[in-house]
Amino acid sequence: MTGRRVLVTLFRFQSVFGLVVVFAAAIVFSPSNDGALVFLGADNLLNVVRAISEIGILAVGMTLVILVGGIDLSVGSVVGLASVGVAELLTTNDWALLPAVFAILALGLGFGLVQGVASARFRIQSFIVTLAGMQIARGLARMWSGGEGVSITYGDGPGQAPVAFSLLGERTFNGTVPIPALIFVVVAALAMVLLRVSAFSRHIYAIGGNEKAARLSGVPVVRVKVLVFGICGLLAALAGIVHAGQLNFGGPNDGSGYELNAIAAVVIGGTSLSGGRGTVLGTVAGALLVGVLDNILQLNNIDSNVQLIVVGVVIVFAAGLQRLRPGRAQAGP
Amino acid sequence: MIRIGGVPVRFARPADAQRAGVAMIHQELDLVPALSVAENVFLGREPHTRYGVPDPKRMVRATRALLEQSGVDLDATAPVERLRTGEQQLVTIAKALSLNARILIMDEPTSALSPREVERLFAVIDQLRTAGVALVYISHRMEEIGRVADRATVLRNGEVVAEFAARELTASQVAEAMVGRPVQQMFTTETRPSEDEHVLMVDELVVTPKAGRREPAGISLSVGAGEIVGVAGLLGSGRTELLEALYGASPGTITGGRIQLNGKEYRPRSPRDALRNGVAFVPEDRRISGLSLDHSVLANTVLSVVDALARFGVVAAGREREAAHNAAAQLGVKLRTLADPVGALSGGNQQKVVLGRALLTKPQLLLLDEPTRGVDVGAKAEIYRILGEVAQTGVGILLASSEPAELVGVCDRVVVLRGGKTAHEFDTALAGEGELLAASMGDVR
Repeated sequence: MTGRRVLVTLFRFQSVFGLVVVFAAAIVFSPSNDGALVFLGADNLLNVVRAISEIGILAVGMTLVILVGGIDLSVGSVVGLASVGVAELLTTNDWALLPAVFAILALGLGFGLVQGVASARFRIQSFIVTLAGMQIARGLARMWSGGEGVSITYGDGPGQAPVAFSLLGERTFNGTVPIPALIFVVVAALAMVLLRVSAFSRHIYAIGGNEKAARLSGVPVVRVKVLVFGICGLLAALAGIVHAGQLNFGGPNDGSGYELNAIAAVVIGGTSLSGGRGTVLGTVAGALLVGVLDNILQLNNIDSNVQLIVVGVVIVFAAGLQRLRPGRAQAGP
Repeated sequence: MIRIGGVPVRFARPADAQRAGVAMIHQELDLVPALSVAENVFLGREPHTRYGVPDPKRMVRATRALLEQSGVDLDATAPVERLRTGEQQLVTIAKALSLNARILIMDEPTSALSPREVERLFAVIDQLRTAGVALVYISHRMEEIGRVADRATVLRNGEVVAEFAARELTASQVAEAMVGRPVQQMFTTETRPSEDEHVLMVDELVVTPKAGRREPAGISLSVGAGEIVGVAGLLGSGRTELLEALYGASPGTITGGRIQLNGKEYRPRSPRDALRNGVAFVPEDRRISGLSLDHSVLANTVLSVVDALARFGVVAAGREREAAHNAAAQLGVKLRTLADPVGALSGGNQQKVVLGRALLTKPQLLLLDEPTRGVDVGAKAEIYRILGEVAQTGVGILLASSEPAELVGVCDRVVVLRGGKTAHEFDTALAGEGELLAASMGDVR
């Protein structure tokens, strides 16, 4: 009985335990510098979080979409669109910082809402809708920038972005914590609280568990799904803004493939692709796990192509674990 | 130990059992909808010609022979999805026969059949019996066991608790054996319907299913406060469609007529809208449309009221638990903890969770579609008791069922639907099951 409970808990937080294991392995394999482990250096650890911040923000939105039984393939392209958009507005159009940021966030939100309406209200599979959205956002990004990247220079002159925007590439708290990492942590914390206490989250899980039953129980299925896609689009735009700020550059082709990295973090985090089961905590751990893996392989100067292979193996392993998860079929008396 | 023909056997997988001549007809039919009858029967072992080319003609011929053998008249080339549930079941039986099954296990084969289809199934069963096939027939319906079986075995918690010669079997004996204590009375409902306070008035309502044709006449009925009104009728008579229309579950299907709820015009746009108006619904199939089986009893129970329990969108965990706990206690749901997945409960307890969710919304009108299908006798009696209590608080109840005994036992009045319109109305104090069945089939003027 208690053994089963331990097992259930283990599976529930599989990615957290996975993260602990990978973390321990990273300590073992870390090169050292003057007797201190490079991996455990505060600088290095914060860099890990910074490196995954964009994918992490995307993965939080993706978790919500997957929980309602959908998928959003457009987020990578929206990152590109948002990075171009914010760069253009700040430089070419000379907008002030806040209006530009909010305009781009609204753009992402709107893009997500439209996809949500198409898939929830008009019942086109979200895979198809967001596959189309992926093409459309990429096309818009290239049209907006004229196909070229948009470099961001800072200053007060015309065509120059406000200096405040360059903070995204900086660190806060006496130059220790990278700002993108801070944004990711705040987004993840908000989402965790949202999924824990809100009536909205009960609706999200119910739809993923059994959409028909949810509708018959009075859950406003279409509204919830549209909102979830909206949030995912909004977070994609946020990731795009962070991306532009870190690179001082808006790239129309940037962010391609990010959607798959985000889905990978969600899957490693133990969220079921069929919906209704999963947590943001798992996703955060999943993203960190990939980040730590990448980091330790880098510290040991291992070929970046090997990193891809390792991450691939981890994904399959995590998905395989899901199949062992004690389900209701084996639920005891 | 299991012996077949005196030989001890052990089956590691269904294929082993098939080879030994054992076949099972599942409650959920395992057919491929888009394939034809013959293709389904020979799925995975399609006959080939001498040159290894598939031989569809031979397959169809063999299927026809099998269908004939069990006295079934079906087109072997028709796609299975176009057949009715009862006919699909006959296909699975033909499939079992093609495997040379000598032992046929049927799990609740009549649960989705109309009375006429049931008769047809029984005729097939009789034929199989004469042909020497042994049958294990699992059912909740006493009268069927008396009709079909030679011997009956009652199981409780995985143990044999009683055996009867089926001919001497009485419903109360079996019920007692199943529940493990004397069942005082199956139907304990005592309602005091109000004569003049109508919760629901339905006047010449025309419900046109999306793919259906428009019916000329409509459904008229009323439900008083504290009254339990039954809806009878064969499959396709419009029972489910009526309840779904009243609940806003299939908006756009109402093409004529009026509905009044507490004297006000009512035309629900969605289930959410219906709930807001004090109308709750217990759907027909709890696994498909009632519950999220992987989720907890707690989450499933409070789903309809989480909005109401929340302040500024935030649900207090304590209030949520309290609501679910009270509902489970009121309905006598047997569970270890509220955190258990609802799929781990028995059918009867799952049904109580669905009912509890509906009652938590404090409805004035409760719509129930087959509320005791696939539920054991003990839980059935408890559900009837609960419905009686709910009616006594002044809630109007509209109960659709395919079991005449249930309708006559529980309801104050029964409305019989035929072809999408009201065909008859009975006072259950004056009419019995026989009249009800006759009216459903159209034998009464």
